[in-house]
Amino acid sequence: MIEKAYILNEDDIDRVVRRISHEILERNKGPESLVFIGIQKRGVPLADRIAKNIEKFEGTEIKAGKLDITFYRDDIGQNIKPNARITDISFDIEGKNVILVDDVLYTGRTVRAALDAIIDFGRPKSIQLVVLIDRGHRELPIRADYVGKNLPTSLNEAVEVKLKETDGLDSVTVVEKG
Amino acid sequence: MLNKKSILDADSLSLEDIKLILSNADSFLEISRRDVKKVPTLRGKTVINLFFEPSTRTKTSFEIAAKRLSADIINFSPSTSSLKKGESIIDTLKTIFSMKVDLIVIRHSDSGTVKMVDRFVDIPVINAGDGKYQHPTQALLDLYTIKKRFGKFEGLKVAIVGDFLDSRVARSDMNLFEKMGMDVTIVSPTMFLPEDFSAMKVKHCIGDVIEDADIVYMLRMQFERQDRKFYPSVMEYNRFLTLNMDRLGKMKPGSIVMHPGPVNRGIEITDEVMDTSGELAEKIVIEEQVTFGVAVRMAILYLILG
Amino acid sequence: MNKNERKNVLVKSGRVIDPEKGKEFISDIYIKDGILAEMGENIKAKGKELTEIDAKGCIVCPGFVDMHVHLRDPGFEDEETIETGTLAAVKGGITTVACMPNTSPPIDSESMVKYILEKSEDAACRVLPVAAMTRGLKGTDITDMGLLAEAGAVGFSDDGRCVGDSRLMYEVMRYSTQFGLPLVLHEEDYSVSRGGLVNEGRYSSMLGLDGISSLSDDVIIARDIILAGRSRAKIHITHVSTRGGVEMIKKAREGGLDITCDVTPHHLFFNDSYLASFNTNLKLKPPIRSEEDRLALIEGIKGGVIDAIASDHAPHLDTEKNTTFRLAEFGTIGLETLFSASFSKLCREEKISLPVFISLITTSPAKILGIDAGKIEVGKTANIAVIDTETEEEVKREDFISKSKNSAFIGQKLMGKIICTISKGKLAYINK
Repeated sequence: MIEKAYILNEDDIDRVVRRISHEILERNKGPESLVFIGIQKRGVPLADRIAKNIEKFEGTEIKAGKLDITFYRDDIGQNIKPNARITDISFDIEGKNVILVDDVLYTGRTVRAALDAIIDFGRPKSIQLVVLIDRGHRELPIRADYVGKNLPTSLNEAVEVKLKETDGLDSVTVVEKG
Repeated sequence: MLNKKSILDADSLSLEDIKLILSNADSFLEISRRDVKKVPTLRGKTVINLFFEPSTRTKTSFEIAAKRLSADIINFSPSTSSLKKGESIIDTLKTIFSMKVDLIVIRHSDSGTVKMVDRFVDIPVINAGDGKYQHPTQALLDLYTIKKRFGKFEGLKVAIVGDFLDSRVARSDMNLFEKMGMDVTIVSPTMFLPEDFSAMKVKHCIGDVIEDADIVYMLRMQFERQDRKFYPSVMEYNRFLTLNMDRLGKMKPGSIVMHPGPVNRGIEITDEVMDTSGELAEKIVIEEQVTFGVAVRMAILYLILG
Repeated sequence: MNKNERKNVLVKSGRVIDPEKGKEFISDIYIKDGILAEMGENIKAKGKELTEIDAKGCIVCPGFVDMHVHLRDPGFEDEETIETGTLAAVKGGITTVACMPNTSPPIDSESMVKYILEKSEDAACRVLPVAAMTRGLKGTDITDMGLLAEAGAVGFSDDGRCVGDSRLMYEVMRYSTQFGLPLVLHEEDYSVSRGGLVNEGRYSSMLGLDGISSLSDDVIIARDIILAGRSRAKIHITHVSTRGGVEMIKKAREGGLDITCDVTPHHLFFNDSYLASFNTNLKLKPPIRSEEDRLALIEGIKGGVIDAIASDHAPHLDTEKNTTFRLAEFGTIGLETLFSASFSKLCREEKISLPVFISLITTSPAKILGIDAGKIEVGKTANIAVIDTETEEEVKREDFISKSKNSAFIGQKLMGKIICTISKGKLAYINK
C-alpha cells in the first residue's frame, strides 16, 4: 500500500474529538441520558475519549461499552472469519440515547450490523452515529449524525486510521490499495 | 475456518482447530449471558439433529446453540425398532440429503457409524456421540471448562475415573488432554481396561490419585447387565471408585471435579457431594460444563457454517 | 481367663524340626502364658499351672497349616461346625486352616467373611476364610473381591465348583491381580466329568462304574495356565490328581508362571485298585486315580513341583455315604489323618526326608496364603505339634473327633501319632 495523503495528525484528531463532544452535549441538551458504544476495534478508544471529555466537561460519570459485530455481518460465508473481539455492554440501554462510535463510515454495512446488535440489547430512545471519517460510497441508507471529517475517496483507495490506544500513534492517512 | 468440514473425532483436531474453537467460545459465552441470547449469524442455515440414541443434554445443547445463532434446527430421532442393520440408516440419510440441509449433528450407538455417514454425505457432519468410539464436542467443552478455571493446560494432572473401555468421552478426552500437554492417569478396574495397559498411566483406586489431581473426571457407570460387564457390584464401586465427601475433602486447593452428565447419584458421585454447599461445592463444575457446552457448540457451528 | 486354659507348657527333649531355618535339633521348648518363651536344653521352668510334656523320641514341629478344609459352617452344621472342625484339626496337629466358601450361605460377601472370623475367634485353631470368586459359586457374576480382601479373605476359590465360562475366569484372574491374593482352583470340566463316579480306567470298566477321565482335570488346568499367563494372576491348583496335571504345572513354573499346587493325602496313598471293595469313603473328587498318576504325584513331591499337602477335609453324614456307590456323596474327612497318612506314605515308604515333608504342611502352604504361620519363633504365640513317629495305629471310626466319620483311611494302619498340639498358645489337644 502506498500512502497518498496525510489527512489528520494527532492535534487535528484531538480538536475534532473535542468539537464532537461539545456537539453531542448541545444536541442532547446535557449528558443525563447518554451512553456510548464503540464498534470494535477502533470505535472503542474513540468512544472512550469522547466519554471522558464529557465527564470532564460535565462532572458526571458516563458509561461506555464495546460492541463486536462479527456475528451480525451480512457477508457470512464469504470471508475468512476474523476472531470475534469482546462485546461488553454491561449497562441498560433501555430508553437511553445511545451514541454509536466508529472510526470510518464507508458502505454502511458495519453500522447496519451494529444497529441490529444494539436492538438485541434493548430498546434505546435513540441511536446517534459518530464517525471520525466519512469516506462516502454508501451501499445502504445510513448517515452519520456527527462527522469528524468528510473525505471523498475512490474505490481503489483505503483510509487508514491509527490511534494511540490500538496502534501507538494518532493519524489518518489515505493509501492506495496495492 | 476449520481445516475440515466435519468433526468426527478428537484425533483429527489440530492444535490450531482447538485454539480457534476455544477462543471463539468466549464470545459465544458472552452472548449466552445477554437478555436477548441471539445473533443472526447463521440465519437461513438448516441443521439437523440426527439422534439414533436417546440424549437430553447433548441434543438440547446443540439445539440451543443452533437457535442462538438463528439457524433452523430439526430434531430427527428415528426409533430403534424401525432400524434394520445398516439399510435404514442409508435410507434416512438419503431423505435428509434431498431436503438440502446444511449440517448434520449425529449420535449413534454403534461405533463407527458417524464416520460412515460422513463418507456418505457432502455436507459437514458433527459427531455428537459415536458408539463407544468418540465424543469430540464433549472433549472440547471439557477443555474449555479447564481453560476457564486454570487458564492453562500444560502440566495439569487429570484423573479419568471409571469404565474407560466403553467410554467415548474418555477416549476423546484422553486424546485432547494429552494433546494440550496434560498428564493423564486412568483410574479403572481391570474389567474396564484393555488387556495390555502398559502404555497408559493406570491406577485401580480413586484414593491413589485424589490428593494429587488437579482435575478429577468422573465417567458415567451403568449397572445394567449389558453395561457393567464383569464388574461385581455398586458396593465394590463405592469402595474403590466413587467420589464421596471424604475423598472430596482430600482434593488439593484449586482442583475441580468434572462429569459429562447426567450423574448416577450414589454410583459415580454420592448424593452428599452433589448436594454439598460451601467451599467444597466450588470444586464441582458440572453445571459450568453444561453452560460452556452451549458456547463451545455455538463456536463449532459458527466456524463450520459461518 | 478360663481356668482350664493351659498356657504354660514345657515340651521336653523333643527333636525340634524347624523347616523355615532348615534345622533339626534336640531341645526343650518352654511356653509361658501362651508365648514361646524359650528354647534350649534343660530349661528349668516352674509354676503351679505348668504342664510338662515328655517329648523324648518324638518330633516337635510348627503346628500344621491345612489350606483346603470344608468346615460346613454355616448351613451344614450337622456334618461339621467351626467348633467341631477346629477340634478335629488340633487332634491332627493342625493349628491353621483355610476354609472353603461353599457353605450355605456361601462366603461370597463381606458379612460372611466376618462371620467366619468372628465365629472362629474362640475356636481351637486359627481359621482363615477363602472367599468365593463368583456369587453363590454360580460361575456367572464376580464377587466384590476388593471388599472381601479387605474384610480378611486370604484367597479366592469356587472350590466344589469350577468356573466353566472361560471369559469370566479370565476376568476373575485379571481382577485378582489388583489385590494380590491367590486363586485356589478346583479344576473340573463338567462336560467330561458329568455322571462319572470314579477314575476312568481299567478299574472303572472292571467294576461297572462310570468314569471321570483325567481329561476333566487336565483340560481345565491347561486352560487356566494359559489364562494365568495372560493375566499374570497368582494361581494355585488344588488337589492335583493326574500325571498330566503335574507335568503341565512343572512346565508352567519353568516358564516363569506364578503357579503353586497341592495334593491330598488320599491321592498319595490310594490308587483306583482300592475301589474293588466299593467303599463309598473312597468315592472322591477328583477321584483317586491310577497307580501311574499316583506315582507321578510322588515324583512331583520329590521333584519340588508339588508345593503343599492339604486334606480337602469334606465331612458327610452317614446317610450320605451309607448308600449305593452311585448315590453316595463325594468326599472324605482328612484333618485328623493329614499328617499320619502322608507321613506314612512319603517318609516311611518313599523315604522323603522329614524336614522336606514338614515344610509341605507348614511353611509352604503359609507362603502360598501369604500368612505368618508354620514357624517356630521365640517371642511369638506358640503353635506347636508334638508327634510320635514310631507308633503304628489302626485308624478306627470311633476315634474321630470330627462330627462326620467318613474317612477313607478307616482300617488302614498309619504311623505318626499326634501326642499334643499347642494352638493359639494353649494346649488344645493332648493324647491320652
